[in-house]
Amino acid sequence: MLAFLLAPVVIVAVVSLFRWSMLAPPEFVGLANYRRMAGDGTVWHSVAVTALYVLIAIPTQTILALLLALLLNTRLRGIRFLRAFFVIPWMATPVVMGEVWKWIFSTQNGALDAFLGLFGVDPIAWLSSGTWALPAVAAVGVWGGTGYTMLFFLAGLQGIPEHLYEASRLDGAGRVQQFFAITLPLLRPTMFFVLVTSIIGSFQVFDTVFAMTKGGPDDATTVLNFKIYATAFQNFDDGYASALAMLLFGLLLLLTLVQVLYFRKRTTYDYS
Amino acid sequence: MKRVAVYAVLVVGAFVSVFPYLMVVFTSLKTAPELNSTAPWLPALPGTLDNFVSLFDGSIANVSFVAYLWHTVLLTVVLTVGQLVFTTFAAYAFARMRFPGRQLLFWAYVATLMVPNVVTMIPLYLIMRQIGWVDTWMGLVAPYVLGSPYGIFLMRQFFQTLPADLEDAARIDGAGTMSILLRVILPLSKPILGTLTILTIVFSWHNFLWPLIISSSDSTRVVTVGIASLQGNLGADYNLMMAGSFVALVPLIVVFLLFQRSIVRSVALTGLK
Repeated sequence: MLAFLLAPVVIVAVVSLFRWSMLAPPEFVGLANYRRMAGDGTVWHSVAVTALYVLIAIPTQTILALLLALLLNTRLRGIRFLRAFFVIPWMATPVVMGEVWKWIFSTQNGALDAFLGLFGVDPIAWLSSGTWALPAVAAVGVWGGTGYTMLFFLAGLQGIPEHLYEASRLDGAGRVQQFFAITLPLLRPTMFFVLVTSIIGSFQVFDTVFAMTKGGPDDATTVLNFKIYATAFQNFDDGYASALAMLLFGLLLLLTLVQVLYFRKRTTYDYS
Repeated sequence: MKRVAVYAVLVVGAFVSVFPYLMVVFTSLKTAPELNSTAPWLPALPGTLDNFVSLFDGSIANVSFVAYLWHTVLLTVVLTVGQLVFTTFAAYAFARMRFPGRQLLFWAYVATLMVPNVVTMIPLYLIMRQIGWVDTWMGLVAPYVLGSPYGIFLMRQFFQTLPADLEDAARIDGAGTMSILLRVILPLSKPILGTLTILTIVFSWHNFLWPLIISSSDSTRVVTVGIASLQGNLGADYNLMMAGSFVALVPLIVVFLLFQRSIVRSVALTGLK
């Protein structure tokens, strides 16, 4: 089973040592692809774009999801029905949703510009603007991911024994105090899981970029994963694409390791 | 008053969440000329069901929508059962059992999450071609049926939050590992199992890239690939596409409403109190 999962990794690592296009037979070049990568400004631009995407999407999505989970964890009438609404975006068919969001951000009859126009805001060419294209794509990521993340927080919140809150209430703790003293610490395993997986996920964003901007305008939304796709399937430079994939893999490994260490150090739970 | 504020926030949020889907529904109820003559966020009244009818009556060449739906249902059932069984066992082993190399093995699993999807598809396809599983059900199912690193990670995190005392108590009462898992751990894990089930159902239902690569004929085609082919064959027939994706969404919403209960049922309620 693990061999099945790891085989592609090994193959990618091996291919990254070759000059390999679909057209010519592979030629062993050692670390040449990696040396080329180090001097390739467009690669580092992609890394920067990816980092920016993650920095916009992850905090927004995580905070929104946690707030939503807190609100949706109350015993209000119709709350189950409302919950479903927030999970719907995640159930979207990516191929279709890319199209719909293009309509929303469009300069012709775009719903967002029409809405902002109500407040006297001039139309913005969201997806063809170097400034706004990336935030727009990230917004779609947040739209799709928040309800999904909320599910985990909700499950986590439901796992916190009610008597802890009762006891702290007797001790005179307020809502905010309870949140920081009980809720947040006990959500730690959930938080760890959510952050690790959603950061890995947003580093690999592809569907929305592909459907909405194809990496443009002027590489403004060319995240590393899209760069890898373009290198492999448009330039047929598979050896180099594999080296880029190893770079992405390495970055994610490093980030995950940081998170593991952080969460292990500051926790009373057993993560070992 | 506070209740009103909470509702207001939730209703606005819910509206933003479903707004793009409102556009899907409106578009699926429009005729082709209406698509161009009305704003995409406005309905065209009285609306037409023609798009849905033509999806199902077989009038579109090369598209057997009913068959795609059926394939997707089968695939989803198989993958979900596989995921629940294998993931639970693996995650429990990683969370509670002691064996050499456990940590290393676990992180090797998690590391596979970090390999870009776009890239692993090529080697995976080559492997499938090697063993002759291209355009077969085996090929469609194989990469996912034995559980996922993602699911194992999720379940392990949850198992670790359960008090070890419970297991010790069961062990003193003479229960073996297997019966502890089935009789103590799993009943406590209902919320997270509900979550895992929904995750797997939605993932299987929507998986696009792999089915696109591995299946080449109508005998294995699933609904996402079918919807995408509406775009290809007919020069982006948005009305049909939107009708198709609306039809594809409905079962997922039903499943979510059914499983909400088990997610919502708290650990406290199921026996820790």
